[in-house]
Amino acid sequence: MQIDPRRHLPIYLQIAEAIRGGVAAGTYRPGEALPSLRELAVTLRVNPNTVQRAYDELSREGIVEARRGLGLFVAERAPGDARPRAVEEVRAALERGIRIGLAAGLAPESIAADFRQALATVTRSIPSPVPPATPPKLRRNPKEADA
Amino acid sequence: MNATFAPHAQVGPAAPAPPSAQAISMHGVTKRFGTTVALDDVSLSIPPGSICGLVGPNGAGKTTLVRLLLGLERPAAGTIGVLGLDPLCDALALRERVGYVPDTLHADRWMTGAEVLRFCRGLRRRWNAPLAASLVDRLGIPLKTRVGNLSRGTLVKLGLVAAVAPEPELLLLDEPMAGLDPLAREEVVETVIAAAPERPWTVLFSSHSLDDVQRLADSIAVVVAGRLVHHGATDDLLAAVRRVRMRVDDALPRPLPAGIDVYGSQRSGREWTLVLRDGSGGAIERLRGLPGVEILGVDPLSLEEIFKHMARAPSGRNEERSQS
Repeated sequence: MQIDPRRHLPIYLQIAEAIRGGVAAGTYRPGEALPSLRELAVTLRVNPNTVQRAYDELSREGIVEARRGLGLFVAERAPGDARPRAVEEVRAALERGIRIGLAAGLAPESIAADFRQALATVTRSIPSPVPPATPPKLRRNPKEADA
Repeated sequence: MNATFAPHAQVGPAAPAPPSAQAISMHGVTKRFGTTVALDDVSLSIPPGSICGLVGPNGAGKTTLVRLLLGLERPAAGTIGVLGLDPLCDALALRERVGYVPDTLHADRWMTGAEVLRFCRGLRRRWNAPLAASLVDRLGIPLKTRVGNLSRGTLVKLGLVAAVAPEPELLLLDEPMAGLDPLAREEVVETVIAAAPERPWTVLFSSHSLDDVQRLADSIAVVVAGRLVHHGATDDLLAAVRRVRMRVDDALPRPLPAGIDVYGSQRSGREWTLVLRDGSGGAIERLRGLPGVEILGVDPLSLEEIFKHMARAPSGRNEERSQS
């Protein structure tokens, strides 16, 4: 798991995002224990309170659950919860990009073409953790932009 | 015992009593050196168990603030409470409960690391020897080398071990990362996290590295030219400040309508860039509603960018900005 203090996203949200992504990708499986606050804080070199906030966020979303005296575990029904959330984030990021393009006077078709190209470039550069599941979901967005 | 005073009603404006629930509480603290105002009417409260990052340009007053908390300086005005005690009157009691790493460590050059730690241990009532040993091991501090031959990074690590081993309730670090290479900086950050006792301690550290502040701190305190210009949760700050790019056909109304507070604005042709102090409370909608204004983009800022805007904003004084 990597966090970047220079990103504009608060670190607790970066941690939550990484774990959510990990649950969706199967690096954390339902019923498995998450690292303790302190363990993760030391590994990531962040304040334990920040890890706590990330875990609180994930508990609220139902992705992890506390077991008394044992710590935090990935919820049994977590992956199903994690994926829509990821889709939501992708959509928000795309919408932001589209708005920038439209404000700059680009035609929707040209934005869609740029999107396809960016998708191809990025997919080539990073091996996807779950190759089969991601592309169909992502492809719906540019069409919406075309409409 | 000396004179005892009968309790009586407080005269004058009721100063907020330093709530002992806070690990650090400063109210209206001013400190002057000759005619120079080092700190100007600073009020700052830090709850126990939280980590506060203190940032500001060089000469802003960060070291003075830390030294006041230690009772090493006497304020010209205001009240200071540290762990519910007065640092000037209860300096000895506080020494047992506060760990301090100064920006420059004073240790005899001819002492070895082991001797420095033994010396510090002798001054303390409490000393967690296994913790000290594990930190020395983890940080790779050579104990047999004379202090005069240690690098600045190793010296800071040694100072950190000496400050942490007595298991203080409050840890004050004055620019612990300054002048360290990236690896040593990471190790210092890691130590502050890993050495934290089970019962969480309070940490105040000053730093020029906003990355470190964002990693370590619950709250960020920004001092500019002796004034505390901001104190709040780092995450709240990131969520509030927004950069708005917009096209303005005619002219922006000056002053800006109420509810639109900016750190600064920049203009090139018809494009204006405003940095909003709080972009969440309808300020962007209010801008959008202005005649002849079209919003081109709204972006969050990194902590470092926000800090630079705070340091340059008119409420902090501009001429203090240059790095000395």
